[in-house]
Amino acid sequence: MNASAQPEESACGAAPGRAAWRQVWASRTARACLAVLAVFFLVALGAEIAHAWYAWRDVTPPWQAQDLAARYQAPGAAHWLGTDGLGRDVGLRLAQGARIAFQVGVVSSLIAIPIGVLLGCLGGYFGGKTDDVVTWLATTFASIPGLLFVLAIAMVVGKGLLGVFLAIGLTTWVSTCRLIRAETLRQKGRGYVRAAQALGFSHGRILFRHVLPNVVHVALVSFTLRFPAAIGTEVFLSFLGLGAQGQPSWGTMIASARLRLWQGMWWELAAVTAAIFAVVLAFNLLGDVLRDALDPRLRTAPE
Amino acid sequence: MWRYVARRLGQAIPTVIGVVLITFVLFNVVGGSPAALVLGQNAGARSLEEFDAARGYDKPLFCGHWTKTRALEAVDFATAGPGARAAWGAGATGGLRLEDGQELVLPLAFPLPADGRWRLTVEGRGPGFPQDGKKFSTVWKKVFHGVEKPAFRAAGGWAEIRRVRLEKGTRHFFDSQLADYARRVARLDFGTSTSLNQPVGRLLRAGFGPSLALTVPILVVELAVSLTLALLCAYRRGSWLDRSLVAVCVALMSVNYLVWIVFGQFVLAYKLGWFPVWGFESWRNLLLPILIGVATGLGTNVRFYRTILLEEMHKDYVRTAFAKGLGEGRVLFKHVLKNALGPVIVNVALALPFLYTGSLLLESFFGIPGLGYLSLNAIHSADVDVVRAVVLVGALLFTAANVLADIALAWVDPRVKLS
Repeated sequence: MNASAQPEESACGAAPGRAAWRQVWASRTARACLAVLAVFFLVALGAEIAHAWYAWRDVTPPWQAQDLAARYQAPGAAHWLGTDGLGRDVGLRLAQGARIAFQVGVVSSLIAIPIGVLLGCLGGYFGGKTDDVVTWLATTFASIPGLLFVLAIAMVVGKGLLGVFLAIGLTTWVSTCRLIRAETLRQKGRGYVRAAQALGFSHGRILFRHVLPNVVHVALVSFTLRFPAAIGTEVFLSFLGLGAQGQPSWGTMIASARLRLWQGMWWELAAVTAAIFAVVLAFNLLGDVLRDALDPRLRTAPE
Repeated sequence: MWRYVARRLGQAIPTVIGVVLITFVLFNVVGGSPAALVLGQNAGARSLEEFDAARGYDKPLFCGHWTKTRALEAVDFATAGPGARAAWGAGATGGLRLEDGQELVLPLAFPLPADGRWRLTVEGRGPGFPQDGKKFSTVWKKVFHGVEKPAFRAAGGWAEIRRVRLEKGTRHFFDSQLADYARRVARLDFGTSTSLNQPVGRLLRAGFGPSLALTVPILVVELAVSLTLALLCAYRRGSWLDRSLVAVCVALMSVNYLVWIVFGQFVLAYKLGWFPVWGFESWRNLLLPILIGVATGLGTNVRFYRTILLEEMHKDYVRTAFAKGLGEGRVLFKHVLKNALGPVIVNVALALPFLYTGSLLLESFFGIPGLGYLSLNAIHSADVDVVRAVVLVGALLFTAANVLADIALAWVDPRVKLS
């Protein structure tokens, strides 16, 4: 039984994946985006290690060390991206902000994507009452104004990153769920599912061993689309003081840079803006290329 | 047609129930009473209890005859911390030991009001503990009713107390927070703002106008501009114009919302002096927020409309129109645009309810006293009733708009009714 299922799976799952990957890699835009994201990832990883190191040593990390003699320094040799109003290095704070942004993007996806994939698969595969419940949940969550919902969850959970993770994760699973449900419905009518049913496989096995690998590319595309949105929401929440507490995040940096802008200190805002722009742009462009490669029906580029 | 309308309205009922449930779970079950946040750290248990009673937070969440009270925190001596042990006068470890004839003194936070029903549950063991005929149990439980003397005395030997719990009676089994909430929603009574001391309904009505003054122009201008640009892209698809416009759109989408606002307010209003920086006195105050609002949504909208138009252009009737020898412009504007209006209508209809919440950040940055400004302030001051009302009304409007959009679509396109 197992052996008979194996070749079919590999024929359906791996080969199109490799072809899609080749298509993505062939695009110069995609390679540039991947390079930007690799830099972002490395910076976030380095910042994470530095953060853990200073937390373990229990000393003030350099991005928190105040140096009132070196306040408001424009970008220069000592501080590549200048210093802020308390003499802290903007570059190091920017790297810490990348760490938080990366965490938020990954953790909120780890909350939202499993919920969306599970509910979408169940609803699409079983149909009937199960589907009614899934659709009801999705419609209900989708009908609550997004940003307000996020703010309300963050308010109820309390200030801090946990509130940000939960707020973003619990509000954004709906789009993934809908895409997965539609894709599962389409896969359900295909021959391999009927063959598996005819072989007497259990629903769980068909769903998770056979259908899931064929719909998982939807989750991948939705991941690249949600990441920039999650970063934007984190910046928004941290800016309002509901997000990161006592550690530099891109949102809190914008909040402080905004006030210092009136004193002529432009570099902190410029650095944060450029960082967010680069990362979000890379994700948006990569998302388009990925979608074209993995899901030709949703093609956005002109022929 | 009427049957379709009725069916669609029927489908909206579970959604409304779901929205009411979600807001209840979010604010009452997860959030709990905002008493400590509103009254501050130093508020006494009595004023907290009165705050709860005035707002119904003292009732059980779903149903029940008994509910917890702030007069006495339930204690389990097996897990109690040193603070609670000291308050009860218990030793360092184990239960609270009472000698023969000694009375259990409840460390009440305030004297119990005479108008309530109270129930005291004491668990323990020992010869002095009332055994109620159960000779061989290791732990006995005794329940005392009545407010006059919720007390316990060891009689006929020592007694060891394990757990103590004081509860307040509810008026009836379904006298719960959920029932209260559902009743208030049905009456459209949204409670009172704790930070502004005004009925939430009045605050919502006051904020409605300024929000619409900001969001309606944004919607109209954005629709006009993005449809025009999308048509231009579709008309010249594949050309450098199309490609650069799409590139600009993706770039516009990637600039953070906050940056638009900060940049606009600082450079355009403060440095260049083209617009007023802050306030809500004349129409000139609205110009810059509208401009920023349009700029932030433009990228997404142009791409969306362009995709719709291009999808439409692959259909057979377009090929037929071209084959008839019609010009590009004529096909695009007379045939494609008309057929693409469906998704456009849906997109606009679904954007309508968001007009009401206004733009959170634009309003607070530019000092426009709308609902966005109201809700951000409410979130900062933990004003639960206001936040809940804004979320709830927003969701109900969204549901209504959804139903209306579907009905409008079915009216325009009869095929929809069949699906």
